[in-house]
Amino acid sequence: MPKTHTLFIERSLTGTLAFVKESLYSEECAARNGFLQSLDPRIKTVSFFIFLCVALFLKNTALIGYMYIFCFFLSCLSRIQPGFFLKRTLVFIPLFSLLIVVPAIFSIITPGREIASFHFGGMRLAVTRQGIDTAALFLVRVSTSVSFVVLLSLTTKHTALLKVLRVFKIPQVFVMIFGMCYRYIYLFVGIVENSYLGIKSRVGGFISSSQGRSLVAWKIASLWQRSFQMNEDVYRAMLSRGYSGETFVFEEFKTTVRDWVWLGLVIMMSAAIVYCSRRV
Amino acid sequence: MHIPDGYLGPATCGVLYAVMIPVWGIASKIVKKNLKAKHVPLVAIGAAFSFVIMMFNVPIPGGTSGHAVGGVLVAILLGPWAACIAVTVALVVQALLFGDGGITAIGANCFNMAFVLVFTGYYLYKAISFNSPVTSKRRVFAAGAAAYVALNAAAFCTAVEFGLQPVLHHTAQGQALYSPYGITVALTAMMSEHLLVFGWVEAVITALVVKYLQKQDSSFFQE
Repeated sequence: MPKTHTLFIERSLTGTLAFVKESLYSEECAARNGFLQSLDPRIKTVSFFIFLCVALFLKNTALIGYMYIFCFFLSCLSRIQPGFFLKRTLVFIPLFSLLIVVPAIFSIITPGREIASFHFGGMRLAVTRQGIDTAALFLVRVSTSVSFVVLLSLTTKHTALLKVLRVFKIPQVFVMIFGMCYRYIYLFVGIVENSYLGIKSRVGGFISSSQGRSLVAWKIASLWQRSFQMNEDVYRAMLSRGYSGETFVFEEFKTTVRDWVWLGLVIMMSAAIVYCSRRV
Repeated sequence: MHIPDGYLGPATCGVLYAVMIPVWGIASKIVKKNLKAKHVPLVAIGAAFSFVIMMFNVPIPGGTSGHAVGGVLVAILLGPWAACIAVTVALVVQALLFGDGGITAIGANCFNMAFVLVFTGYYLYKAISFNSPVTSKRRVFAAGAAAYVALNAAAFCTAVEFGLQPVLHHTAQGQALYSPYGITVALTAMMSEHLLVFGWVEAVITALVVKYLQKQDSSFFQE
């Protein structure tokens, strides 16, 4: 029987543990007494959405780079450890994007003025100025956008962030589903972790690939069965709390002068960046 | 397949948001009309289920591992409209809270995974399993085939969206402003890995889960 390492078990366990660890850290950051944490979540989300749109529309690498520096400055004001923020915003998606964009620096993808060339496997590869510019713009844009989203998530309580969706006129039933989904995710992640620990303790060091797939499929099926059974209990719990088919989301948000000043500054800053990009 | 911010230009993001808004509107109306009040939590549970399904790593021949997306499975179990909402909720939670998939690209990600993947998969499953008994092997095959085709259809749409970027957004000198690869490169890169690896993972896992659920409780497949 073909044997395979239990890499899928380790990866799943690492993934679930990293998820829980990151979520706990995120909630801890959101509870700190920093600048962004003190803003109204609705105003903060709108202002970050403006930044994201500006980063999306800009065509100038340097200006988007300045936006990243500003985002980093905001993270420092919000008491996020600089090392953590840089690692979180420059490693996963930007590193993946870097790997994707490497071929674009060569003339086969981006023709233009050649600045260096070499032979690889009998083929001549030339790096072009336009290719480097394309790759740099792409990477800086992706890193800056990811940074704003990460900073928003780190400085806002997740439950508050989901309630903020009401600002965008999303129906209350959706907001309720978001909130419920968020709670279930943690419950299910716990179940996934226990399932893989169970698999690990039963299979030891090796398991065949097909047996591994069957085990995982069985775990997914049993998770669905448990979820379906849970639905009945959850509905009864909702009824006992007065649910009558209509949804109400309590909003405890309160804006202050400071929030509006911040929003005004963001709009002015964004307008200035867009104006500069047209002049450059 | 989760497109991050910065990969697609504003025009593509805007158009795909515009496409998805009426889809979400219709989905919420249909679900509200057809779903009993007691099944409302089920949509939330379905959303959480489609979120965590990606945490189940599956062994792939060759020693590595991958994960299934689970959109077709959720569509078979909940129906296409409820699945559309469930997958949308999972994608929004992933983008907003965990930085996985972009906020400006939510429309595109939902179009690919909550619309194309879910509806292609569901209707293909219905067509192949047409009137067969709920415990038949044909349904297991239908689930696997539908998952394979639907995942590849979603990957195809994603590749087309990437491939359109250098055409839609470039400088006067022809320099790409967003995803730099044309349609041929984007299609080759995306489709080769989905046709050869990820599609099969999705197919095998979806088929096996349907097979187990048939044995355990076939009422999940009653219409």
